[in-house]
Amino acid sequence: MVEERINNAEKTNRQTLPRWVVGLVFAVLIGFLVLIGLGLRRTQEGPIVIGQKVPYFELKTFDGEVYHTQQMQGKVIVVNFWASWCKPCEQEAFELEEAWQFYKPRGDVVFLGVDYVDTEPEAKAFIQQFGLTYPNGPDLRTRISQMFRIQGVPETYIIDREGRLAFVKKGPFLSVTEIRGAVDPLLP
Amino acid sequence: MLANIGFGVLVVSFITSLYGIIASIIGVRKNSLAWVESARKAMQITFPLITIVALAIILLLVTGQYQVQYVYNVTSSTMPLYLKITALWGGQSGSLVFWAWLMSAFTTAVTLRKWERDREFLPWVILVGLVTLTFFLSLILFFENPFVRFWVTAAGNQVISMFPPAGAAPLIPADGRGLNPLLRHPGMIIHPPMLYLGFVSFVIPYAFAVAALVTGRTDDRWIRITRRWTLVAWLFLSLGLVLGSRWAYDVLGWGGYWAWDPVENAAFMPWLTGTAFLHSVMIQEKRGLFKRWNMILIILTYALVIFGTFLTRSGVLSSVHSFAQSAIGPMFFGFIALSMIFSVWLLIWRWQILHAEGNMHSLLSREALFLLNNLLFMGILVVVFWGTVFPLISELFTGQKVTVGPAFYERSTGPLFAALLLLMGIAPLSAWGHSTVKTLGKALWKPALAALAVVIAAFAGGIRNGWALFGFLLVSLVIFITLFEYFRGVTARRRRTGEGWLAALFNLMARNRRRYGGYIIHLGVVLMALGIIGIEMFQTETQGTIPPGGSLRLGRYEVTFTRLDIFDANDGRNVARATVLVSKDGRMVGELHPRRDLYFDSMQPMTIPGVRSTIEDDLYVLLVDWQPISSTGVTFKVFHNPLINWLWIGGFVFILGMLVAAWPDKDPQPVPVAVRRGQAIPSRSSGD
Repeated sequence: MVEERINNAEKTNRQTLPRWVVGLVFAVLIGFLVLIGLGLRRTQEGPIVIGQKVPYFELKTFDGEVYHTQQMQGKVIVVNFWASWCKPCEQEAFELEEAWQFYKPRGDVVFLGVDYVDTEPEAKAFIQQFGLTYPNGPDLRTRISQMFRIQGVPETYIIDREGRLAFVKKGPFLSVTEIRGAVDPLLP
Repeated sequence: MLANIGFGVLVVSFITSLYGIIASIIGVRKNSLAWVESARKAMQITFPLITIVALAIILLLVTGQYQVQYVYNVTSSTMPLYLKITALWGGQSGSLVFWAWLMSAFTTAVTLRKWERDREFLPWVILVGLVTLTFFLSLILFFENPFVRFWVTAAGNQVISMFPPAGAAPLIPADGRGLNPLLRHPGMIIHPPMLYLGFVSFVIPYAFAVAALVTGRTDDRWIRITRRWTLVAWLFLSLGLVLGSRWAYDVLGWGGYWAWDPVENAAFMPWLTGTAFLHSVMIQEKRGLFKRWNMILIILTYALVIFGTFLTRSGVLSSVHSFAQSAIGPMFFGFIALSMIFSVWLLIWRWQILHAEGNMHSLLSREALFLLNNLLFMGILVVVFWGTVFPLISELFTGQKVTVGPAFYERSTGPLFAALLLLMGIAPLSAWGHSTVKTLGKALWKPALAALAVVIAAFAGGIRNGWALFGFLLVSLVIFITLFEYFRGVTARRRRTGEGWLAALFNLMARNRRRYGGYIIHLGVVLMALGIIGIEMFQTETQGTIPPGGSLRLGRYEVTFTRLDIFDANDGRNVARATVLVSKDGRMVGELHPRRDLYFDSMQPMTIPGVRSTIEDDLYVLLVDWQPISSTGVTFKVFHNPLINWLWIGGFVFILGMLVAAWPDKDPQPVPVAVRRGQAIPSRSSGD
């Protein structure tokens, strides 16, 4: 009886794989490879380049206000990535605030501070310490920094009135003059 | 000079392994022993060659040749000697060389064994080993050359290249950038090599599986040969994972040990399939079942090993472990694609002849329970895999990388882990071939009663968390069953031989090391589970800013801040070290020194907790922040981690069990239960 069972088992076991199973296996495999391949291509693509349209994004500040870049069309947007743990960020904080105070009355220049991978109490202390008055908010899930593919903090991206990336600064600004030198040519 | 020698030898080793591939293919096609022997020699020569390459890099690191870009990137003059040596795996190109070196050591060791009975496997094993090795060598040679240097051209431009452009002079930086401070920890020195060893040694069972598929030898010979390799691979991978979590606990300063980070998952996934494989090969050996399944498992394990290496090195997923974004991503992608498609095709081609030699008779037999164990492991794998690649899927469809948090993993794998624990208790009690509820129940009721007593005691002790109580039930059940199994084995042996308790225990284990080593591993796992239940379900924390003399309370503990010292250490860091007094139930129990080190060269801070460890719990104090002019005081974060040390104790027991199970022996293996038909090879074998 055992012999018979084994024979039966062999009969069922000796089958080749049905075509649809083979097809499915390869489909899953190829699907997985395509997924990884696309992810890889994105990684290799690198940051948004100068002259390219910058996709719209939203920043919710520490005070709970929401800023959407779609509502800032026609304005020059200065996007500064920083963090409270970042030493060089302290170096440019006063300069950024001073530049903001200079442009604020004009109304066609916006500053956005994007706080990268940070803890809220420390970040708020940083804002207070340097007296920053332009909108600052956390980059939740690092969405904005991934969009710009920043490599570290501080980095600053300036978007012109047509919504195109016009200027990139990696590392801290050294003076207000440097910031004005980047923003002024974009204004009418 | 040294860099040139290193580079030259690297080129030679690449050519040698390329030659070995060609020779083994010719050997198979012409059925020529001479060609296969030549391929084997080529394989064996790669080891001394790559050893020279690795030594050249180490010498460059130790002597501080900052003109070499790799040396400049990973070392600095203030680093101690042992860190300069271990900087070999501190960066992308060096660690690739290290990988290739281990790989050639292992494959060479395999080719040194006696091959009389398995000659048809040899060319294929060499081929798989060498193709993998050649791939890594080509990455090093063409994309991540560790020997490239800085030059200044006549025009004054800085150039990075292997050989100087015409008229260029060497550019020698005064000092290097130094190793990432997070990696300057003893755990970090051993953790990567352990993982690499685990990864690399899984290539060997895969190579044999491919050889078995290609040659059509469907008996369990390939499994018997590679059994010990699999155990060794598994040992190293497990060690790497445990050391990695210990490092995270000690250094990263967030009070945890495992974060479900993509790269942690990358090492955990081959561990899951490897563990499933370790269990299911036993069924093929004993009962001739699951041949196809074992092939699938080992192919998956190999694919996941390569995939894990790819994840760490391509920058596809962001992680604390990532190396800098690199050009080797597409190469890796191509290799993964080719090896997976080839393996799957091979498996489908041979599907028919990989039929089982028997049938499963009982749902409670050990093989059925092992199958269940395998399915649970696969379930966990699917969850972890889905969570790991989810950011890629979400990016594809929504344009945003959405990362799933630890909660996702914990909730979805928790029940599966609990079921695995339960199986771990029951499966060893069941018999091969056939078991019934009655036989199982008979073996189970005593340990189950004892476990229930533990839970009642825990409930009486004030624990009201239902999940935790259930966890304790499972943990104590497995512990009692395992101890009971030992007790049964020892008493039976004593009755038969009249030996003393210790002698009986020792001989029992010596006679069946795989089984009793396995039990010790199980004990280790449940002890680790105890630690995990403790920290996951009972961890408490508090944070507060306190002036000198002030204190923070957490449960029965009180932490009093006494002083803060800030000073420069002579190895290039500024240290802020707090002194806190710890009292428990009002009684002073000790002093802790949480601190924050700031490394000057990289301006990177590192938070080192002050930890008071006991069997019962850890009090884990972090220095979070302080005001320069100490008026308001210092901010501390305090964690209470109950039972956490059982995680590390369990880790030790686990490793001990593995050593028992994997220790080489000369004893013949027991004859399998089912006698194979139509098989020329004797089933008694020594393995290796």
